[in-house]
Amino acid sequence: MATQEGPLADLKVLDLSEGVAGPFCTKLMGAMGAEVLKVERPGLGDEARSMPPFYHDEPGIEKSGLFLYLNTNKRSITLNLEEPAGRAILRRFVSWADVVIEDFKPGTLEQWGLDYAALEKTNPRVILTSISGFGQDGPYRDYEATDLVAMALGGILYITGEQAREPLKIGGQPSLYFSGLSAFAGSLIAVYYQEATGQGQHVDISMMEAIGTAQMYSALSYAYKKENRLRVQDFSPMFKAKDGYVGMMYRQPNWEDLCHWIGRPGMLEDERFKDFASRQAHMQELNAIVGDWVKDQSKADVYHTGQALRMPFGYICDAKDLMESPQYQDRGYFIQIEHPATGALTYPGMPLRMGDLEWDIQRAPLLGEHNEEVYCSQLGYTKQDLVVLRSARII
Amino acid sequence: MAMALEGLRILDLTQVWAGPTCMKLLADMGAQVIKVESAKRMDTVRGEANPRAGGAGFYPDNEPGVRPWNRTGHFNDRNRSKLGICLDLTHPKGVETLKRLVAVSDVVGESFRVGVMERFGLTYQELKKAKRDIIMISLSSQGATGPERSYGSFGATLEQTAGVASFTGYIGGRPTTSGTFFPDPVVAVLAAGSILAAVRQRNRTGEGMYIDLSQRETTTAIIGEAVMDYTMNGRVWEPGGNRHPVYAPQGVYRCQGDDMWVALTVRSDAEWASLCNVLGRPELAQDPRFVDVLARRKHHDEIDQIIGAWTESRDAYEVMRLLQGVGVPAGVAEKGDQILSDPHFKARHFWEVVEHPDAGTHPYLSRPFKHSKTPGSTRMHAPLLGQHTEEVLRGIAGLSEGEIRELAELGVTTNIPAGAPQEVDA
Repeated sequence: MATQEGPLADLKVLDLSEGVAGPFCTKLMGAMGAEVLKVERPGLGDEARSMPPFYHDEPGIEKSGLFLYLNTNKRSITLNLEEPAGRAILRRFVSWADVVIEDFKPGTLEQWGLDYAALEKTNPRVILTSISGFGQDGPYRDYEATDLVAMALGGILYITGEQAREPLKIGGQPSLYFSGLSAFAGSLIAVYYQEATGQGQHVDISMMEAIGTAQMYSALSYAYKKENRLRVQDFSPMFKAKDGYVGMMYRQPNWEDLCHWIGRPGMLEDERFKDFASRQAHMQELNAIVGDWVKDQSKADVYHTGQALRMPFGYICDAKDLMESPQYQDRGYFIQIEHPATGALTYPGMPLRMGDLEWDIQRAPLLGEHNEEVYCSQLGYTKQDLVVLRSARII
Repeated sequence: MAMALEGLRILDLTQVWAGPTCMKLLADMGAQVIKVESAKRMDTVRGEANPRAGGAGFYPDNEPGVRPWNRTGHFNDRNRSKLGICLDLTHPKGVETLKRLVAVSDVVGESFRVGVMERFGLTYQELKKAKRDIIMISLSSQGATGPERSYGSFGATLEQTAGVASFTGYIGGRPTTSGTFFPDPVVAVLAAGSILAAVRQRNRTGEGMYIDLSQRETTTAIIGEAVMDYTMNGRVWEPGGNRHPVYAPQGVYRCQGDDMWVALTVRSDAEWASLCNVLGRPELAQDPRFVDVLARRKHHDEIDQIIGAWTESRDAYEVMRLLQGVGVPAGVAEKGDQILSDPHFKARHFWEVVEHPDAGTHPYLSRPFKHSKTPGSTRMHAPLLGQHTEEVLRGIAGLSEGEIRELAELGVTTNIPAGAPQEVDA
């Protein structure tokens, strides 16, 4: 199932998390060869199974694109942790695991007798990585978080958008994904220590802190200058081309090339634009001139020609543009994955290459797909036992 | 306290944001990270050698000072806990010396434009000759292969080319980039984990590897559902403001005071009823316009007006406390001074105060993870330009006094940036 030669081969990961953050972490681990056992609640399973997008807009627990993307290279079992019998079974997996990932509300594992102190008794090597809105302690510990709320308290929301309007979130679910990456790196730091010393530990991921490390400008600006950074809508001025938008950053070394390219060599003599500082001071006039030229160009042309002149331009790609990107196509970034509920679909692949390793990305599991394999082969239950456990709503 | 990554040595040739942040995280956790720069080509976030006061650099109180390159916030933030050396890699002696460091290192990281390491004669194949099991990671804009491999980018342009910007923006408005270079820290954290995965493999197999990480691809990896909506349904996302794809209401509402805002999300009918109670309008929970999530999505604008009318005369922190008190996710959109004094960040020691000889004493952010047995910390201030050159060449690379003197005489290890005012004594 997992990649044979992956750098995380033989790493055993017990994944109790759901949604985006934890599953993104274990998706990366699974792709790198870790053996990921995903524990889902009986019935509906991972909450992401009930989140859009759905294949052909038909909701179904095996048809969520969010879930399918985030849960590649994992096995799924169902287990009801609300029941003492379910928790007893979970302890058996804790003995097996090198890393346990969870995202319950802080205090939940303690109530269940499954907090780090308890897990450590079962398995002194075990690493417990806990992902929560605000971390395992502190005054906001029991506060509720969403992606947007974490961005607000992490200081990144305030600095995005137009100053005259309300602060604006970054699109998608950046706090959740960022927390997942933080759990990935944090867990592997603990794995390094575990393999060196035989000791496990508790790794605490707070969404507010994770996204709080990404704001950078806001804290630095106050720390260094006693100025609160205001909203900046575009670090790279954005212009409407005939088929979309391009982002352009004017840099000193490219200034002459730019003036010639857009057919305005006269700007080189213009006092308003004679150096970086004067161009900053007359940015609106400059942007008007450039914008007037861009509106008749195609966004990809401006991007590629600018880059050929070593101007670090961007063009605004939507999912269709990404799919058609010559760069992504050449690198084989998008991959095809076959799944029983959706047939073959195109997914984003792994964003890095590690040595000669060929990524072997396996489709997300159906809910409880590996119950028999795991409970019978790994824990020694009989098929008849599974019938009983299912009837008792334990699995 | 034990350090998790004790014994790991990393040569950090990266610059600007993503690479340096990655290496800083590993350094905080115990890796010995040696930042390699040259006086000819300093990390660009050190700013210009001789800037004007109030220029683009990020100096304490906007004052570049005598050695401005040691004073910029961006450099001093992302390069804490590292040793810093100067080595001119355009000089053969610089390359030769770097290889001696490679010979005693575990990992080499770089973020030059594709092709630059090759020009230095420092490809992975070359590094392997210096150290058979070396791990090398390139954090390039678009990966080491492909027609756009040598393209340049900044975080903001990556948000554009990776897809995030296409659906960031006000409803009905144009695409927007974030107020930070958001892709950089995303790349940093993925790279940190990936390096440790490679180290694990090396420890088990004795083989190093080359890691080719594309910053653009990494940024697309965090918008998986947007890509899937296209491949499943042919749907292309547009700017959606602050709203959630399912939950309603979700928004950012003006509060009392100077540009103060609170963000909130209602995830269920029960949370909606709780919000209505806090608003003193319990009847709204039964109002057919708002009774379930479909109705609330349809009447989102009206809800925004109702909530906004209530919040605008209230303190943002009071609103947050009232809503969180009844289990509704809410948070103040904190400004720079507010995150620095936030009680929760404080209680969890998120900020680390670091004294720097040229820049003064400031709080800096810490890490996106907390380890119970190996907590990690800022171990020292960001290096002054070339601060540890001699110490590293002598103590780690094992160069003789004669060799060190020769490098200095050739100018390979100078720490006076080109263009610095003559009188500066670095």
